[in-house]
Amino acid sequence: MGDILQYFLNGLARGSIYSLVALGLVVIYQGTGHLNFAQGEMSLFATFGAWWINDHGVPLWLSILLAASFAFVGGGVIEFGLIRPAAKKSPFAVVVVTIGLFQAFNSLSGLLFKGAATGLSFGTIFPNKPKDFFRLPGGAVWRYENIGVLLTVLVITALLFLLFRKTKVGLAMRMVANNADSAKLSGVPTNKVLMLSWALSAAIGTIGCALVAGINTNVSLGTMFGVFLLASAAAILGGLDSPLGAVVGGLSLGVIESFVTNYPKDWWASTYIGADTATAAAFVIILVVLLARPSGLFGSTHVERV
Amino acid sequence: MTALLEITDLWAGYGRQQVLQGINLHVDEGTVGVILGANGAGKTTTMRAISGMIARQGSVLFQGSAIGAASPDRIVHAGIAQVPQGRGTFTDLTVEDNLRAGAFVRKNVGASIDADIQQWFGVFPRLAERRLQKAGSLSGGEQQMLAIARALMSKPTLLLCDEPSLGLAPIITQELFEVLGRLNAEHGLSILIVEQNANLALRIAHNVFVLETGTITASGTPSEIAQNDTVRKAYLGY
Repeated sequence: MGDILQYFLNGLARGSIYSLVALGLVVIYQGTGHLNFAQGEMSLFATFGAWWINDHGVPLWLSILLAASFAFVGGGVIEFGLIRPAAKKSPFAVVVVTIGLFQAFNSLSGLLFKGAATGLSFGTIFPNKPKDFFRLPGGAVWRYENIGVLLTVLVITALLFLLFRKTKVGLAMRMVANNADSAKLSGVPTNKVLMLSWALSAAIGTIGCALVAGINTNVSLGTMFGVFLLASAAAILGGLDSPLGAVVGGLSLGVIESFVTNYPKDWWASTYIGADTATAAAFVIILVVLLARPSGLFGSTHVERV
Repeated sequence: MTALLEITDLWAGYGRQQVLQGINLHVDEGTVGVILGANGAGKTTTMRAISGMIARQGSVLFQGSAIGAASPDRIVHAGIAQVPQGRGTFTDLTVEDNLRAGAFVRKNVGASIDADIQQWFGVFPRLAERRLQKAGSLSGGEQQMLAIARALMSKPTLLLCDEPSLGLAPIITQELFEVLGRLNAEHGLSILIVEQNANLALRIAHNVFVLETGTITASGTPSEIAQNDTVRKAYLGY
């Protein structure tokens, strides 16, 4: 029993990260219909920035906030300077641009930060000493850092929810996401809204990446590859246009991964199920879910009345 | 009577395809203008050109100021609201949020917007019953009412309606034109409607323009238009 709880908690920790990166993807997708393939590498670049600021004597939490603000501005600039002109040509042009950005940010990180390829040591903003944990009934251990990461995800989700539901800017974002033409006809400056989506997404992604780096205790050029793959899967599982879906999708994938990784050695087919197949198993489950619900768990199915 | 909207030699289209080939029309303050036209005549293009949704050339004067090159949001701010063809409902938003969406350009928040929502709920009681439902679940007629109420939430001086009768049952269409007529008569709202349903539209119109393949081929009062043989055969069916 204690073991099962432990695997669950480990999965939640991993899943929190997927959720956060998936949230970044969803914020852009719901407004523009674009999947930002550079999401992971953009936030990686900003996280290297956080490392650099921290290296110059600024406290880590402040460095991460500064890097996230920098990413916020950068995200807006990228939308304005690269994505918007490409979107005028065709949606495929946007895909190509984001793939190009993926390469560019990864290479730029390697170029600007010495030692990025092998990894730079990265601290954590949460208590992370060997004994920083709660012991739960049954012997499971819940580390403060994992609680902190989960709380960060929940707080960001709650803030996003408030932004979308309770503010005029949020209403404008929902209008653009739902019907861009009508949003324009209601007087929404849709371009500014799209710029804001990219800005928000970049900032959220940066916090996600900084948390990954904290858990890994280092940040390298490869930090986001696996995370991004799982996060985009989480976003698709959740429904791509639903922030809640991104969080649920991310957490479930983390938990599934954790349980498959720790699949008992003496159970059925244990030769085939284990750490090596964890990611594959997650994708099989996504496949099954998407066969049953093509728009994901929380995605909206668009039925048009004509 | 002064012209609220004055369009002179307006050209517009998609890419190199010019749909509107120099149209002239005007809407006087406090009146209802109707543009009659068959499919493909350029009715929707005219509406989208006025709202700034597509590239256009020519002069568009609204309350004396040129809006022929303004962006859609500037035009809404200036006081023109459009009910787009197909109603343009925010399907994932609730009925009430759709109305708030319509009030996006208004600076004042809270109480006065809530009061207006209540006012339109009074005019369209069926929307009030469904205020917390997603707007996508409404019937076509209800969505058309919602689209009009949404446009009115911006407190426009001029309301543009793009084929409001499209896809609606005759009885609903009739109700709809009654509402539009009342809005004009009781609230003094100026309206420009494009329609194929000439019978109903002519009943509330003050000025009528006939649009054929991108040019205005006839214009006048409803009775003048009704006497025009070609128009009568094409649009009134007798």
